[in-house]
Amino acid sequence: MSATAAVAAPSVYSGGSSVIALGVLLAEFGMFRQALLRDQVRLYAVQSGLISVLAILVAAVRHLPDLYVLAALSAALKVVIVPIVLRRLLRGIGRAGEDEPAAGWTEIAGSGSLSLANTVLLAIAVAAFGFFSVRALNIRSAVLPITALEISVSVVLVAFVLMIMRRDVASQAIGFLSLENGISLAALVVAAGLPLILEVAFLFDLLVAVVVFELLIRVHHGRAESLSTADLTSLRG
Amino acid sequence: MSAALPIPVIQFLQVATIGVAAPGVSGVIAKVEARLQGRRGPRVLQPYYDLAKLLHKEALAPEGASWVFLAAPVGAAACYLTVPLLIPVLTSFGLPLGYMGDILGGGLILALASFLVAIAASETGSPYAQLGASRAKTFSAITEPVVLFVIFVVALVTGTDLPYALAATVRSSASQIVRPAHLLAAAALFMVILAETGRIPVETHTGTNEFGMIEEARPFEHSGPYFALLKWGSWMKQLILYTILLNVFVAPWGLAATAQIGDVALAIVALVGKAVVLGIVVAVIDNSFAKLRLFKITEFVSAAFLLAVLGVFTLYLGGG
Amino acid sequence: MFAVILLLLILPFAAAAVSLRAPDRVAGAVTAVTGVACFGLVLALVPAAAHRDLDYLSYLRIDAVSVVFLMATSFLYGAVAVYSIGYLAPSRRSRDPGFSRYSRRFYTGLNLFAWSMLAAPMMNNLALLWIAVEVTTVISALLVAIENTDGAAEAAWKYILIASAGLGLALLATIFTYYAGAQVLGQHYDLSFTPLLHAGARLPHTPVRLAFVLAVVGFGTKMGLFPVHTWLPDAHSEAPTPVSALLSGSLLAVSFYAILRYYQVAAAALGPAFPRDVLLVFGVASLLLAALYLLDQRDVKRMLAYSSVEHMGILAIGVSFGAPIALAGVLLHVLAHAAAKGNAFMGAGVLVHKFGSKRISGISGGLDLLPWSGPLFGIAILALCAMPPFGIFRSEFEIVQGGFSSARYATPAVLIVLVTLAFFGLTVAANRMLLVPARGRVAADLPRGEPSAWMVVPVVAGVAALLVLGVHPPAELTGLLSRAVHQLGAVT
Repeated sequence: MSATAAVAAPSVYSGGSSVIALGVLLAEFGMFRQALLRDQVRLYAVQSGLISVLAILVAAVRHLPDLYVLAALSAALKVVIVPIVLRRLLRGIGRAGEDEPAAGWTEIAGSGSLSLANTVLLAIAVAAFGFFSVRALNIRSAVLPITALEISVSVVLVAFVLMIMRRDVASQAIGFLSLENGISLAALVVAAGLPLILEVAFLFDLLVAVVVFELLIRVHHGRAESLSTADLTSLRG
Repeated sequence: MSAALPIPVIQFLQVATIGVAAPGVSGVIAKVEARLQGRRGPRVLQPYYDLAKLLHKEALAPEGASWVFLAAPVGAAACYLTVPLLIPVLTSFGLPLGYMGDILGGGLILALASFLVAIAASETGSPYAQLGASRAKTFSAITEPVVLFVIFVVALVTGTDLPYALAATVRSSASQIVRPAHLLAAAALFMVILAETGRIPVETHTGTNEFGMIEEARPFEHSGPYFALLKWGSWMKQLILYTILLNVFVAPWGLAATAQIGDVALAIVALVGKAVVLGIVVAVIDNSFAKLRLFKITEFVSAAFLLAVLGVFTLYLGGG
Repeated sequence: MFAVILLLLILPFAAAAVSLRAPDRVAGAVTAVTGVACFGLVLALVPAAAHRDLDYLSYLRIDAVSVVFLMATSFLYGAVAVYSIGYLAPSRRSRDPGFSRYSRRFYTGLNLFAWSMLAAPMMNNLALLWIAVEVTTVISALLVAIENTDGAAEAAWKYILIASAGLGLALLATIFTYYAGAQVLGQHYDLSFTPLLHAGARLPHTPVRLAFVLAVVGFGTKMGLFPVHTWLPDAHSEAPTPVSALLSGSLLAVSFYAILRYYQVAAAALGPAFPRDVLLVFGVASLLLAALYLLDQRDVKRMLAYSSVEHMGILAIGVSFGAPIALAGVLLHVLAHAAAKGNAFMGAGVLVHKFGSKRISGISGGLDLLPWSGPLFGIAILALCAMPPFGIFRSEFEIVQGGFSSARYATPAVLIVLVTLAFFGLTVAANRMLLVPARGRVAADLPRGEPSAWMVVPVVAGVAALLVLGVHPPAELTGLLSRAVHQLGAVT
C-alpha cells in the first residue's frame, strides 16, 4: 500500500531502557499539570527513582559495577533526602492561620502566563527541537540507545520551559532540580564510565545547592509572606 | 470438526460478532462498575432487553426535522457495520474485503457515522442535542491529530497502513512489544478511545449531568427503533475501537491463523474475552477518577497528543 | 611551592572557621591578615609558574594562566578584607542587636567565597573545576542575600536560579567533553586537563563543538555575557559593597578562566576559527548591551555592574582576535580590571555610606566632602574608561592592536566606539556625583571627612597597582604573561 521502509525494532534492552527514559520525560511533562507543590515534589521523587532504576539496569546489562553504588547514592539523595528537605521547608512556611498549621505543603503553585494545554504544546515543540538536534549530532553511545540522550536533552529543555512558566519560587526550584535530573540522565548515556568519585561529588554538590535553595526560599518567604514571584519586579533597567 | 469455513462466511462472522457482542460488552461494563460501587447493578444482558423494548416503541420526530433525521441512525449503523470488515477482528490474515480500506479508511468511516448523528442532532433544534453535537464535533476535531500521529507510528513501524501488518509485527517478537513507540501509541490510542466512547475523564456514561454531556446528548430527540439503532451503533463503535486497540496494538494474540472452524470459534471467544477485560479496566478507571471540567479536556487531549508525538519522535529519530 | 599552594588552600578556610565563632573585631583582623597573606603567597608563585607548570596530588595544577587569575582574586581578597573593617564599623558603632550575627555570617561567607575562588584555578580536572565554580555560586548567593532587604532577596533568588541553570548547561558541556575524550582516551579517564590537550587533534569534532558552545553559554551565565547576564546588575548592586567588589572583580574572572580552559580544548580539537567566532559573537553582544545601558543609569552600583559586563565583553572579543598581543592584553586586562573595579566599588561604597543613598541623583559634591575617596573614585572611573596611564589603557590598547594585526578591522573599530559610549555613560554619572557642588539638604548636614581610614588604604593600593600595570609591568609579570599566552596557543 505504501513505500516507506519499516523501522526495525531495537533490542529488548534498548526498548526497555528507552521506555524508562521516556518515563523521565513524561514525569517532566507531568510537572506542568501538578498544581500542588506536594505533588510536584512527589513527581520529582518518581523521576529520580526512574533514573536510579535505569542506572541499575545499565549496571546489570553492561557490567559496570560502579553504577550500582551510584544508583544507590542518587536514590538515597534524590528520592529520599531532597524530598524530605523540601517537605520540611514547605511545611514550615505558607499562610498559617490561628489554629491550622502552616499550609505551604499543600499550597497551589502559581499559574503561569499561558494555559496548561498551550504550555504543553510549547513544551512539545521545545522537546522536538531537542530530539532533532541530538539526532543531528550523530553521537553513538556504547551503553544506552541514543534515544535516551535525545530524551535527556529534551528533559533539560522542557525543564527550562517549566522554570520560565512557573510563578512561584518553590516550583522554580523543583524545576531546577528536574533539570539536574535530565543532566544526570545524559551523564548516564554518554559518561557512564566517569570515575565514581566525580559522580559522588556532583551528587553532594546537588545537596548543597538544595540547602541553599531552601535558605533563599525562606528568605523570600520571610520578606514577601508568600511564595509568589509576582512582586519580584523592583530591579529593572 | 476441522472443516474450513469459506471466506465470505468468515467476513460475515466478523460483522456479526461485533454486532451481536457489542451490547453484551456494554452490559458487562455497567455491571462491573455497579459492583465496584457496592451495588448489585443491572443484568449483563440488559442492553439486549433494552433494544428489544425500544424496537416495539413508537417513533416520534420533532416538527421541522427532515428525512435526514430518520435516515441518520440507519446510515450510522450501516457505517458501524462496515468497519469490522476492514480491521482484524477474527483472523490474523487479511480477508479480501479488508483491503477496501486501510486504517485511515476505517477512521474516515467512523467519522462519517459520527457526522451523520451530529447532523441529525443539530437538525432537531433541541438545545441539548445541539449542545452535544457541537461539543462532540469540537472534541473530535482536536483528537484527530492524535489519531493521525498514532497512524504515523503504525506506518513507520510496518511500512504500510494496514492494521493487519502491525498486528503481525507486534506478534513477531518481544522486542516489538517493549519498544517505546508501540507503548506510546497504544497509550495515546487508549486515551482517544476514552474520549470517543464517552468515558471518564471526558464524560460520565451513567449520569445525566447536562453540563458535561457530549456524546450522550446527541440521541436525545430520537425515539423508538431509531433510538435503538443509535444506541446499538454507539455500542458497536465502542467494541470496534476496543477491537482496534486490542487486536492491533495491545494483545494481537488469539486470532485465527487459518480458516478452520475451530480456530474461528476460538477467535470469537478470545475477542469477546479481551474486550471484557478491557471493559473491566475502563470500569475501574471510571470509578477511580473524576470527570474533567469541559475546559480541561484540552489538557487531557494535549497529554494524549504528547504521547503520540513522542511515539513518532522515538521512532523517526531514535529507531525506537 | 607545594607548601605555598597548600597554605593558599588552607588559610582562607581556616579564617572562615575562626570567623564562625570569634567576635567581630577578631574575625575582621584575621580576615584582613589572611587576605594580604594570600596575596603575598600568590606573588611568591609568580616566578615559579613563569618557568614551568606545577602539578601536585594529581588534582592540583598551576600554570601561568592559573596564576594570573589567582593574582586577580587574591589582590581583591586582601583589599576587600581590609576594606571590610571600615565598612562594618558604622554598624558596630550603632550597636545594632543583629550585628554580631551579621558580621559572623559576613566574614565566614567572605572567607569561604575567597577560598572557593582561589581553589578553582588550581583544579586540574574539568569536573572539579565545575564543582568549584558551583561552590562559588552557592556561597555568593548567600552573601548577596545577607542584607535581608527586599531587593537583596529578589536579587539573590534571580542570581541563584539563573546561575544554577547556566551551570547545569556547563555540566552538560563537561559531560560531552568527557564523551569526546572517552572516544580517544578510553572510558575510565578522569577529565584531567593535560591528557585532553595532548589528545586534542584526535577528539571527535561534533561533541567538542557542542561542548564548547554549551560551556560558553553555561559559564557565560556566571561571567555576565549577553544574553544570560540578567542577574548581574541586580546581584552586584544589592550585595554589600565588599562582596560586590569580589563578585565583579574575581568571580567573573574565575568564570572566564573556565571558559578559557574549554577554549584551549576546543582550539586543540577544532582549530581556532570556530571557538573564536563563538566568543566574538557573545563578546560584541555583551559590549553593545552594556554600553547602551550605561548611558541611562540611576544607581551607582548598578552602573558599575554594567561596566563589568562591558569589560567581560572586551575580554571575549580579545580572545577572539587570537593574536599573541591580544591574548597578552586579555590577561593583563583581567588583572587591571580586578584592581580598577575593586577600587570603583570600594569608592562607591564610601560614597553610598556618606550620602546614605545608592542613587546617583542623591550623591553630589563628592570631591568636596570626601578628600581622599572622592578623587580616588574619580580616578577609578577614569581607569575603568581606559585612561592612560592606568593598566586598563595598556590592556585595551594591546587588544585593539592584536585585532588590527590579525587583519580584522571592523571589530576593533566597533570596540573603540562602544568603549567610548561607555566612557560617556560612566563619566557623566561620575561628574554628577563628584564635581557638581553639593546641593540641597545634602550639603548642609554632612561634615567633610572620610568615614574610615580602613576604607581608603585599599583603594590607594589599588591605584598603585593600576599605575604599576599601566606604566611598567614588572619583568616577572611580563614573563608570566608571555608564557600564559604561549599556553593558550596563540595562532594568528
